[in-house]
Amino acid sequence: MIALVDCNSFYASCEQVFRPDLWGTPVVVLSNNDGCVIAANKEAKALSEIPMFEPVFKIKKQLTDNNVTFFSSNYTLYGEMSQRVMNVLKTFSPQVEIYSIDEAFVDFSGMKYSSLKDYGHCIRKTVYRSTGLPVGVGIASTKVLAKLANKISKKYAHINNNVYVIDTEEKRIKALKWAKIKDVWGIGGKHTKRLQNIGVFTAYEFTQLPEEWVRKNMTVVGVRIWNELRGTSCIEFKTLPKPRKGIATAKSFGKKLEDLGMIMEACSYYISEVTEILRAQKSCATYLQVFLHTNYFSDRDKQYSKSITITLAMPTCDTFVLIYEAKKALELIYKPGYRYKKVGVCLSGIIPQEYVQGNLFHAPPKWNKNELLKTFDAINKKYGKSTVFSALVGTRVKEWELIKEDRSPRYTTQWKELLKVKTKKNLQKTEGF
Amino acid sequence: MKCHCIFRKTKADSFEHFIFSFIKYFLQMKTLSSGKLGKIQNRHNPAPSQQTGFPSAATHYTEPSIDLHKELVLNRDATFFARIEGDELEEFDIQDGDVLIIDRSLSAVSNRLALTIVDGEFTVLRIPKKQVGSEFILWGIITYIIHYVQ
Repeated sequence: MIALVDCNSFYASCEQVFRPDLWGTPVVVLSNNDGCVIAANKEAKALSEIPMFEPVFKIKKQLTDNNVTFFSSNYTLYGEMSQRVMNVLKTFSPQVEIYSIDEAFVDFSGMKYSSLKDYGHCIRKTVYRSTGLPVGVGIASTKVLAKLANKISKKYAHINNNVYVIDTEEKRIKALKWAKIKDVWGIGGKHTKRLQNIGVFTAYEFTQLPEEWVRKNMTVVGVRIWNELRGTSCIEFKTLPKPRKGIATAKSFGKKLEDLGMIMEACSYYISEVTEILRAQKSCATYLQVFLHTNYFSDRDKQYSKSITITLAMPTCDTFVLIYEAKKALELIYKPGYRYKKVGVCLSGIIPQEYVQGNLFHAPPKWNKNELLKTFDAINKKYGKSTVFSALVGTRVKEWELIKEDRSPRYTTQWKELLKVKTKKNLQKTEGF
Repeated sequence: MKCHCIFRKTKADSFEHFIFSFIKYFLQMKTLSSGKLGKIQNRHNPAPSQQTGFPSAATHYTEPSIDLHKELVLNRDATFFARIEGDELEEFDIQDGDVLIIDRSLSAVSNRLALTIVDGEFTVLRIPKKQVGSEFILWGIITYIIHYVQ
């Protein structure tokens, strides 16, 4: 049996753990740069006027009118809280697949249990008790069914208290008949339309289709989902993520930039970020893409966008080489006179370091012997991000960085931003208990 | 020899239970109240002698130096820190600017100092003997108070 454990409105819940004054009130979290609403808790979702993914400036009034508290995204906090949840889950089974920041599959195969439902409740209680985060648990024989069980656990939380187990054939069929085809994990919008066209609206009807049809129209991926829904597990359990094939970062500036120098600093900063990940997974990139664009949403500004891809002479993970290449690329695509909103970099053609081939002029470099990069990473790891950096990154980060006006403190990672407890005079009343 | 003792002492009702307690003993672990296993300290830290002349007599007795985080935080995933603002908690020996170490996984044992929520606000109090009828929500048990001495 497999459980899918998933945190209820994760970002908003993380904020609420440290803000008991906001328990039971609507909370939303805004995207990077405070652009739009990316997460909302139950109370905020209940206010139907608040649309998700809508630019904030359009709905700011609605938010304040409804007493919604909004936070800029605090990914440092969410990342740390996620890590804690996953660590707690690892005490329940040796096999935990971290699927996303707020979801994990827990494999119970080979384990003895008397009641899966009780075990599910135990997981939920322990996670809540350790981290303060509410989770839903769906348990079933396959991943797709576990995902479905989790959906049911959330939908009928008032009855089943956020835990639902599909352990009998009856329950499976009941769940399948309840689930709309678009709610099935792995079936996208295109397939949903196609299935609806032939009269398939529920997951149950989907499982009644002949396998041949599914294979022909939805490829082997569809067959896997079809099998999983029928109770045959065929999506493997992964405990390690695949090394990333492409690493990209692109963030809007805090304000529009015209000056090439400043844009170049932002670009170099992003290169430093992505190359750190590249070295952490011990790989090298073959291609570097740099892109630059103005604000699409503005009608007043002249629009321009351009992207360029460079094939590197030799795959590399060297921050300084890539910054140099990015600088050349940016000089090629930059046009003065525009107000730029975003610069982005994307590394692709990612291969393991030991697969890098030399060329006519150079032998492949020995990355584990590169003392400069090793020291560079070691210093930044010990003393914090960007303690040492390339001079091209510059020191004006604050001037172009994202706006995070209402970011909560990083309670769990910064000694100076700890949770504050204000003491009160009227403490005597507690002694009366 | 030690293994024998365990075998005789533990009236294991099942084989698994015996194996579990054996592993626990072997790895020098203890069970935390959350059900999680915590490592007992006193680890061994073998390293070759650093002396160029006469080898140190301490070679086989080295241990890692004390790491406060390991000593004071038993369950990392459930431990949070909070800073006190204000002087109204003198009765608990808590002063302005002190940092509390709070373990959320510990049970609400009466008379322990706890960070609770009363009327939507964080409140430090001792857990009363009779918990029935009391109007607080437990946030976590305070395990240590870090105080800077002026």
